[in-house]
Amino acid sequence: MTEEKRSPKAEEKKVGVYICYCGGNISDHVDVEEVRNRMEKLPGVSVARTNMFMCSDPGQEMIMEDLKSGTVDRVVVASCAPSLHETTFRGAISRAGTNPYVYEHANIREQVSWVHHGTPATDKATRLVAAAAAKAEQLNPLEPIRVEATRHATVIGGGVAGLRAAKDLADRGIPVTLVERSPFLGGQAARLDRVAPTGERAADIVSELAAQVLENPAVTVHTCSRVTDFSGYIGNFTLTLQKAPPQDAETLEALETAAAQGAEPGAFLPLAGVIAEDPPASPASVTVETGVVVLATGFRSYTPWKGEYGFGESPQVITLPDLIRQMTTSPSSGEQLRLGGRPIRSIVFIHCVGSRQIPGIHPENASGTLNEYCSRTCCSATLHATGRIRRNFPGTRVYEMYRDIRTYGRGHEEIYEQASREGVVFLRFEPDAMPEVIPTEEADTYPLRVKVTDTLTFGEELEVPADLVVLATGMEPNDVSDLVDMMKLPKGADGFLLEVHPKLRPVELPVGGILLAGTCQAPFDIGETCNTAGAAAVKAAALLARGYVELDPFVAEVDLSRCAGSGACVDACLNEGALAMVDMEVDGKTVRRAQVTPALCLGCGACVAVCPENAIDVAGMTLKQYEAMVDSIGSEPTAA
Amino acid sequence: MTALNPDFAEEMMKYGEDTALACFNCGTCSAICPLLHDHFPRKLIRYIQIGAKDRILENAAELWKCLHCGLCTQTCPREANPGEIILSLKRMAVENWRKS
Repeated sequence: MTEEKRSPKAEEKKVGVYICYCGGNISDHVDVEEVRNRMEKLPGVSVARTNMFMCSDPGQEMIMEDLKSGTVDRVVVASCAPSLHETTFRGAISRAGTNPYVYEHANIREQVSWVHHGTPATDKATRLVAAAAAKAEQLNPLEPIRVEATRHATVIGGGVAGLRAAKDLADRGIPVTLVERSPFLGGQAARLDRVAPTGERAADIVSELAAQVLENPAVTVHTCSRVTDFSGYIGNFTLTLQKAPPQDAETLEALETAAAQGAEPGAFLPLAGVIAEDPPASPASVTVETGVVVLATGFRSYTPWKGEYGFGESPQVITLPDLIRQMTTSPSSGEQLRLGGRPIRSIVFIHCVGSRQIPGIHPENASGTLNEYCSRTCCSATLHATGRIRRNFPGTRVYEMYRDIRTYGRGHEEIYEQASREGVVFLRFEPDAMPEVIPTEEADTYPLRVKVTDTLTFGEELEVPADLVVLATGMEPNDVSDLVDMMKLPKGADGFLLEVHPKLRPVELPVGGILLAGTCQAPFDIGETCNTAGAAAVKAAALLARGYVELDPFVAEVDLSRCAGSGACVDACLNEGALAMVDMEVDGKTVRRAQVTPALCLGCGACVAVCPENAIDVAGMTLKQYEAMVDSIGSEPTAA
Repeated sequence: MTALNPDFAEEMMKYGEDTALACFNCGTCSAICPLLHDHFPRKLIRYIQIGAKDRILENAAELWKCLHCGLCTQTCPREANPGEIILSLKRMAVENWRKS
């Protein structure tokens, strides 16, 4: 930046510089008043002010008053990282009736006061704020990109989360397509019997929800379907669904059972779910144009490795879902629990199987990872099951071996106490001293014995005879690697889909227009699943309510007066479809020029770097603006 | 190695005790007990839960140290009534002493 460039415009461009003390976070190390003095003397700067907390109401009002009175027409705030308060100050500018994009942010906390001290800190802050002011002079008002939104939502997954989200969206009057991989609605919840803490029948919950969805004319349900292709952007997605006759043995068996019972669509089939429609006889393809996508792809129960607590080696070692399944076809009360006719005198439940795994103690999964998280539902589910067994089968002894009992939800601690009072005996083990499940000699009256070093009995080794060992297996996310690749979805280290912010934006993904519902995100119980599904539905409805969506305008713009049609930008573009060469009329001639699809542009600037004609720029971050910043940083410190 | 004996908790019922299994081993009773002695009374309650009758009889003398001040019963979060459990254990110990 040179003087002759800056001076003539100094009268027109009135930059206001607002420097924050951050209550000492900045002012303890940066001489904020000295920075203000130096800024005040810059040619383009009309006013420079300070405040103890610029993000406070008085701070924001100071900026708004300067804008309203015409003292300034563009704003620089020097404070914390823009990720914290950029939107705050853009909002203040909007409320003052000014275009929110004539704003530049200087980070003098994380990048200055937290890492430098004394005079160098003040000098660095000066340079950063001066550079921001130099850029602010070059800023132009921008308009958000407005994209028409298709008033339609697609929900992927027909479990509790998907059903809840579909119903909530349909109730808001939004047409919904619900896609389910299996022939059944209800997901994992349909495979349960009675659910903690209320003891309601899972079949009732699933049937009620599925009926509400199937009866709603706004919802189109596609079962036996998978998403095979995905394209577009927020408001305008196109999905291809492949419907195919079911292949896997378990599903075919369930369908045969349904046919044998003469079950019609809408009927609930125990341990499978609600039959939504007849399975397709032959493969078919369906295309869906949609505005938002709600992912409700759910979880699967952890499968123990062969030999984990004797699983896969002894038929008397099963998982909690196995037990629930077997109990649905056995007598519901009696002296002793009988499974497949076999009396069960003693059961040992083992907690935290496939959850809270610790590096160096537990072996890695096939994919080389560990489930380090708590699955959250297994404690309550196990306690609910053990209490019921003790109540209904007083002659069956029940033991629970746990690391910690985590009955965190409302009404869950009561299940724990209830199970204790019903006579369940608890034993507690340390993670590095897992219980040993040992098959017995034939002479023994019990097929298994479980050895545990019990911390409740002061570290003594105890032995429990068992007819059955039940492993309280945790949750793992369903394999959705195809969707992850297609939609570019972020996954956490735990394998679950990862939201933008765990507290402030818990159901949104960084990909605009794609939302999360239920256990594809983290282990949840049914109530929590409905919470997230409802939240996702509301977010989706809010996106579609106006008929259009507004996106930040920081996208590439082609200067047609300079573009020579080299196509270098299209080759460099990182997001397919964001840039293309098209035929257009320029000065009466048909030529091939670059064209931007703003909704797809990431604003990365790869095109700007390669254009031989300097004919493409990212709005709000133009080369000219950066040159002004670099010139400012490179110049002698102003008025120092 | 100690094998669990689940029948003992039921045997204790005839001595007036039916709350030992409600105990979740938090240790509040031992922390507040003025005797401050070797996890008393939690240890003995735990022995009922796992059915270690022999251990209780081996340590039966400890039962008579109890002052019956009632602090454990007042503070038990599970209302497992530790004071009453000690009384029941005394009855059990006396009966078994007579037998032997």
